[in-house]
Amino acid sequence: MRPFATAVSLLVTLTLLYSLNRGWNLGSPIPPLGKFLDPFHGFWQNAQPGKPINEVKSIPGLRGKVTVIYDSIRVPHVFAENDDDLYRAQGYVTAVDRLWQMEFQTHAAAGRVAEILGPVALDYDRRQRRLGMVFGARVAVDKMTGNPTTKVEVDQYTAGINDFISSLSYEDYPFEYKLLDYAPEPWTNLKCALLLKSMAQTLNMGEKDLEMTNALTLFGKETLDILYPDREPIGDPIVDNAGKWNFTPIKLDSVPLALPNELVSLKPFEKSSPDIGSNNWAVSGTKTASGSPILCNDPHLSLSLPSIWYIIHLNSPTVNTMGASLPGSPAVISGFNDSIAWGMTNAQRDLVDWYKIQFKDKTKTEYMSDGQWRAARKEIETFKVKGDKDYIDTVTYTHHGPVVFDESFHPERESSHFAFRWIAHDPSKEALTFHKLNRAKNHAEYMSALDHYGSPAQNFVFASVSGDVAMRIQGKYPVRRKEEGKFILDGTKTSTEWKAFIPNEQNVMYKNPSRGFVSSANQHPVDSTYPYYVGATSFEAYRNRRINQVLNASTNIAPKDMMALQNDNYNLKAAESLPVFLTHLDESILTDSEKKAVSALKSWDYYNNIESEGASYYEAWWRALVPMIWDEMDSAHVATWYPTTFNTIRLIKTKPQFSFFDLVATPEKETATEILRKAFSKGVAMIDEWKSKNQKDPQWASFKDSYIGHLLRQEALSYHVISGGNSSIVNAHSRTHGPSWRMVVSLEKNGLKAWGVYPGGQSGNPGSPFYNNMIMPWTLGKYFQMHFVSSPEQLGPYKFSSTQLAPAK
Amino acid sequence: MNFLKQTLATIALCFALQYFLPWWTLAIGAFAAGYWFRNKGIVSFAAGFAGVALLWFATALIIDLQTQSILTEKVARLFPTKTPVLLFVLTAFVGALPGGFAALTGSLIKSNR
Repeated sequence: MRPFATAVSLLVTLTLLYSLNRGWNLGSPIPPLGKFLDPFHGFWQNAQPGKPINEVKSIPGLRGKVTVIYDSIRVPHVFAENDDDLYRAQGYVTAVDRLWQMEFQTHAAAGRVAEILGPVALDYDRRQRRLGMVFGARVAVDKMTGNPTTKVEVDQYTAGINDFISSLSYEDYPFEYKLLDYAPEPWTNLKCALLLKSMAQTLNMGEKDLEMTNALTLFGKETLDILYPDREPIGDPIVDNAGKWNFTPIKLDSVPLALPNELVSLKPFEKSSPDIGSNNWAVSGTKTASGSPILCNDPHLSLSLPSIWYIIHLNSPTVNTMGASLPGSPAVISGFNDSIAWGMTNAQRDLVDWYKIQFKDKTKTEYMSDGQWRAARKEIETFKVKGDKDYIDTVTYTHHGPVVFDESFHPERESSHFAFRWIAHDPSKEALTFHKLNRAKNHAEYMSALDHYGSPAQNFVFASVSGDVAMRIQGKYPVRRKEEGKFILDGTKTSTEWKAFIPNEQNVMYKNPSRGFVSSANQHPVDSTYPYYVGATSFEAYRNRRINQVLNASTNIAPKDMMALQNDNYNLKAAESLPVFLTHLDESILTDSEKKAVSALKSWDYYNNIESEGASYYEAWWRALVPMIWDEMDSAHVATWYPTTFNTIRLIKTKPQFSFFDLVATPEKETATEILRKAFSKGVAMIDEWKSKNQKDPQWASFKDSYIGHLLRQEALSYHVISGGNSSIVNAHSRTHGPSWRMVVSLEKNGLKAWGVYPGGQSGNPGSPFYNNMIMPWTLGKYFQMHFVSSPEQLGPYKFSSTQLAPAK
Repeated sequence: MNFLKQTLATIALCFALQYFLPWWTLAIGAFAAGYWFRNKGIVSFAAGFAGVALLWFATALIIDLQTQSILTEKVARLFPTKTPVLLFVLTAFVGALPGGFAALTGSLIKSNR
């Protein structure tokens, strides 16, 4: 009889089972090891052999049969008998490949990351709620479900995702759920709206109101205008229609510009990277070899895995369309159908304002507006926190929008309160735009589709098989008085609120311009005769001019020429600045390694190709130079904003004695020459240090060290890639940002042809061969032909595997 | 000899259970084998440990070979294990440990009668 030993042994067994069935946090989180490592259900089950699997799935609620053919890069070609089934199937197949990503991104948009990652994400979550992300998504979902067409579309898409979720048991869960030990929750229409708002946050939340207010107080208006001109002398706006804006613009009653005179101590949120932007263009048949238009698009975003885009082909009796979709949103976003193609770049404009609020008392229940006390609304936000108790936050809403910062949230030393006005809180109907664009037959239908589009504002390029090319900058734009909204605004007066919006037909657009092409690359949208005030944080100055130079000089264009242009590494910024920089050096006093650097720079052809060493020296010089010039901003101890690259270079060229070239920290009075020399030495030292650390030559791709990171920032699931390009270059691949989808469409009359690629793969599963299979072709500038057909039979030679979705009996 | 029999029985039982049920049912399989074979405590523990270790190792290895280590390498880098070999060892050990104690418990109950 050994009852004691038996009891101990049983207790040890049960303790082991319990401990290995739950996650632990020992400094870093550890997944439940028993569950996770179990080869029958754990992560091992997520490894996929890459052999074709043909499946039949029964889906309750489906009306007819849906055939899904996957081609060799796992693009699903979805053939449905009606639209209900089409969008249901889109939700289903997208979830099959991207469920974890879709849910994680919408959790991130909604400020729910702490539920998964614990207290470390609480501050981020509170920021998201305080910016009114969920508030904006609720407004959007009301609009989405208020229209019968988009209601069906989004309802079915949501149902399709849920069909997939409800078919899962633990062993089928995407890898990341197992790693982080949680389970997918049901999808909702609100999540589709949250995804849209998260795009708006990335693309249309750009502003520098606090920074401009501080700069105004620190430097004065005259200097401010030198540092941050509304329009830089660059030329080449997206639409140059000088003198031909034949409409009567909306006029606001004149109110003198009230310039604030204060320093705001708040620390603004980290801004979207300036590398977020895009290229698109369309050349008309007069310039192409085939005589048909060619349309190109490459949106530049943070490059991550799983990839932001998902290629899909949707076919039903009412539609045949293909292109890049956003996992979490129905329809094709950047793509083509049998008659037209379209694509987007971001249309920067000031769509954010901060209003200084005067509350009646500390309870913040009433605030002043035109001499009257107005009631504020309080929203209670509850945050679930993994491994901790719930957190409750109260957000005060004025009629402008939420008061983001207050005593409980990043008050810094600031006692004033500012309400956040953002365009993406307003109702709009983007879902209807994409529904109609996917079906548009011609320019008129493209125009009518865009009429519903509000935010995030985009430059929509267009081309049709019938031979038209066009560009339209579409978004909901407030009518502004000159310079209004550049600084913080007085919230006690309604006179500077957004009173009117530019009517759709007065937005910037044109069709079939005489130069034979349209293009946009986040530059200034329009010539100076456009009758509305146009302001933004900054406009891009280089990519657009390079694109236009190449397109202007090209004839007999073939699709491969357009692919070459999307991958073009010519550094116009360097070509315009390096020769000037070099003239400031005194070559007689250089060290040996500085002499080597000068010779690398002088022999450089201005291409940021993989092997260019000149590109690395130039970049190092630039990185050292910028903070030296704008050291006045860094030593101000309030938020400020560096002037643009273009303006920085222009000031070096035209105002070498400008006071900002003086270094604050030194007693001497520096000019552009001294600054350039100091920065040069520092840049060369940076490269030398890099060389001794890495023990290799500073070739551009090695020095840049581009990185495509998994959303969870796990090195093991991420990739370093060897590639050329950089910010301000058409191939806008910087360290972490770049062309997230490259598309070239040749709109030929005897059948449209299209090619596409993105740096990732169709599957979000790190255990799938389709997780990263397009990264290498993408870095090499290769494309995959899009197999755009009208029936499953035509896919014969390209078919890899198939899934039949059948109604449940 | 009895050790070998118990080990094989553990493998068979645990495979059958795990094929349908969550990971922790391995303890039921190892316990039952321990109970049935009335081995000495140390032998029973070893058989339960070895049985589950082999089952988990072999299953993981088959998946790894079928998938050209596509996920093994990534997960190995996620863990302090760093190398796939150590990930296999960890996998086998995490299953084997409760397997061994469950088998020990089974044999101890038997000797109680």
